[in-house]
Amino acid sequence: MEDDNRPLLSSEQTESHHLSFCLSPRPFHVEPRNIIGDDPQERVSAEAAILNSRVHYYGRLTGSSDRLLSPPNHVIPRPEEIYVYSPLGMAFKVKGSDDTSKNPSIVTMCICHMEHDDGHAGFTLGILIIVFLGLLMLYCCYVVLKSPKAIPYVDTSDWEFPDVCRYYFGKFGQWSSLVFSMVSLIGAMVVYWVLMSNFLYNTGQFIYNYAHNVNTSDLEYGTNGSEKVICPYPNIEPGGNGSITMSPLFISSVGNETLDSTSFGHWWSKTNTIPLYLIVLLLPLLCFRSASFFARFTFLGTISVIYLIVLVTIKSVRLGFHLEFHWFDTSTFFVPELRLLFPQLTGVLTLAFFIHNCIITLMKSNKNQENNVRDLSVAYLLVGLTYLYVGVLIFASFPSPPLLKDCIEPNFLDNYPSNDVMVFVARTFLLFQMITVYPLLGYLVRVQIMGQVFGNNYPSFFHILALNIVIVGAGVLMAKFYPNIGSIIRFSGATCGLALVFIFPALVHMISKKRQGTLSWPSAVFHSFLILLGLANLVAQFFV
Amino acid sequence: MSSTAMKKKVLLMGKSGSGKTSMRSIIFANYIARDTRRLGATIDVEHSHVRFLGNLVLNLWDCGGQDTFMENYFTSQRDNIFRNVEVLIYVFDVESRELEKDMHYYQSCLEAILQNSPDAKVFCLVHKMDLVQEDQRDLIFKEREEDLKRLSRPLACTCFRTSIWDETLYKAWSSIVYQLIPNVQQLETNLRNFAQIIEADEVLLFERATFLVISHYQCKEQRDAHRFEKISNIIKQFKLSCSKLAASFQSMEVRNSNFAAFIDIFTSNTYVMVIMSDPSIPSAATLINIRNARKHFEKLERVDGPKHGLHMRMR
Repeated sequence: MEDDNRPLLSSEQTESHHLSFCLSPRPFHVEPRNIIGDDPQERVSAEAAILNSRVHYYGRLTGSSDRLLSPPNHVIPRPEEIYVYSPLGMAFKVKGSDDTSKNPSIVTMCICHMEHDDGHAGFTLGILIIVFLGLLMLYCCYVVLKSPKAIPYVDTSDWEFPDVCRYYFGKFGQWSSLVFSMVSLIGAMVVYWVLMSNFLYNTGQFIYNYAHNVNTSDLEYGTNGSEKVICPYPNIEPGGNGSITMSPLFISSVGNETLDSTSFGHWWSKTNTIPLYLIVLLLPLLCFRSASFFARFTFLGTISVIYLIVLVTIKSVRLGFHLEFHWFDTSTFFVPELRLLFPQLTGVLTLAFFIHNCIITLMKSNKNQENNVRDLSVAYLLVGLTYLYVGVLIFASFPSPPLLKDCIEPNFLDNYPSNDVMVFVARTFLLFQMITVYPLLGYLVRVQIMGQVFGNNYPSFFHILALNIVIVGAGVLMAKFYPNIGSIIRFSGATCGLALVFIFPALVHMISKKRQGTLSWPSAVFHSFLILLGLANLVAQFFV
Repeated sequence: MSSTAMKKKVLLMGKSGSGKTSMRSIIFANYIARDTRRLGATIDVEHSHVRFLGNLVLNLWDCGGQDTFMENYFTSQRDNIFRNVEVLIYVFDVESRELEKDMHYYQSCLEAILQNSPDAKVFCLVHKMDLVQEDQRDLIFKEREEDLKRLSRPLACTCFRTSIWDETLYKAWSSIVYQLIPNVQQLETNLRNFAQIIEADEVLLFERATFLVISHYQCKEQRDAHRFEKISNIIKQFKLSCSKLAASFQSMEVRNSNFAAFIDIFTSNTYVMVIMSDPSIPSAATLINIRNARKHFEKLERVDGPKHGLHMRMR
């Protein structure tokens, strides 16, 4: 029996074996295909010819970015034996596609929320914060991405960021990074539940109103005119000059579902019954063993984002811009440009730009690894621009003279009347997309928790069922008692951001640089400052 | 006469990550879709079925590995999985660090085979041999082969060393397919006669689904020892392109001033390739010859009883 400790490869070959997964497939040989004579001497060696045939064939069997069947280094002939030529006498290189696709579902969820927080932060400050925080998180993402490569003597080719934390901080690092990763995922799942209840409620309401020809425009407080915008939960400010006076009738009828008295309203209630209906639909989906079925629907996320952008553009074109710039003072209808409530925006943005717990895995399938930094920056740029675009447009076009900018809801679709067809379509799209993404998130949670706690991903059906009941229960409770997605997002974002965006990457970076002996004072100061920022972000959430 | 067409199985088993999916993809020209990888997740149960050699169905199973979910599924489905098995092909990763565990899983598969399909043939593939240094390959393979033969008693297992980066994979699977064809010696004799009658330079018989060479005849030494694998790869690529158009490959003729080559469907499970180096013989003549030979070879296949999967297809 072979001794387990004896390495099967010599040291040089081990290294080249590691490199094999970083190389992109390249054409090393083009065989002349026209055989016109009985050449006694072979122009190419038999081994190279057959290897070329294999490489061509295997290349047809996988996707272009998949490196499963590309030839490892020790198989390709030495550089001196490689000829590359084309019939025209020119050499050519094959460029592969190097797109990474960011998860569109997280982008969708946060778009709904962006302009609400623009109001809380003040318009100008909001824009500045989005840009600044985007850059900060891009840098931290870059640190996370680089971290496995800085670890010497260990094969880190299939490590994720929790593994890096385990390497530096031991069991504590592994478990805490797992816990914080769970916070972000479960926070996202809870928000999804609340949003799905909202969309399902509104969809059903629309269909009911349409079928029974009910007109609710009188009951909704909003603008007059063709493009109606409503304020579902108007704020009465007693004692303020120029405050809007409203009768209590408005509050009770608009604050809760308007058709409360009918039996439909009783059985189709946003906080009471719909979260429970969703259980029937989603709990079985969560218990599926594999998530590959749901992974096929990620294209819905892209369509939803595009549709939302189009919707926002059309609405703001029709409503026109309503912007006035008041820098520090408050006016009734507008918000000052800089407000002290801005930590709400930073909290939300921390979750909005958060991808650090799976960025390594996502980037691994990138064909040209040297372009990773460029691709990451482009992705963050696009995401940031999308948020900015939607946020700025909604905020700017919100009709302020009749309504307060404070009226902008955390979910901006709530600001349109329930008989608006375009918004209805948006809600339906988003509802379907969320129903397909929710089991994917549940699968990620399950794999990470079960993998770490029990050592395998499916200990038994009852373990999985218990976990799913906990997650679904949290969602239902939140939907029933505290459906304020803004708060949920910013608290979970700030918490997991603290650990996985600010503290761990900064510490890992500083420790690895220290071990290499290249830690400079400005770098140490900057990274410590990052940690302080993360802490401040979390603490501030409790005070606003 | 035929009894009800009983599908017999070819089980392709081994630990996850040992290379079974790649192997199947290469031999059977299946596209590998890898979208589940992005979730950083682990294995799914591979149920995909491929048919070859007439009525044999290839089942691919992950055996053991880090998924004890798989183990539980295994024990509850064991009898179903191991019933009606014609061939068990077990893949070992030569780089694996858990030799004890690998042997343990292999033995439990063998036990199940003994209970449910005691007539099954067992093949062991020691895979990824390209990762071993060249001068050590024979030694390591001999060691593994001895261990496996010893462990497999009373069943007899045939061992091959394979790698997708040299000709050993193609040769191993060709040998396996060769052993699965019941009257292969008779086929070879008839093929030789056929080749001599039509004055062909070389005649090859391929299995239909995998284009593995079952048998061949050549009248003089050929230059390229790898030509079988090359032809197989070329035709499989062509089949992949055809399938994109929902078309299926049937026959091909390649002709120039030096030779003429004909690839055509032969029997229900085979393709034939005929190489004529005398270009003055018109194509029609060779095609008629092939057509007549087809009838003769089909009768050959039908002669044997309905026991083996090859003979289930009736006109």
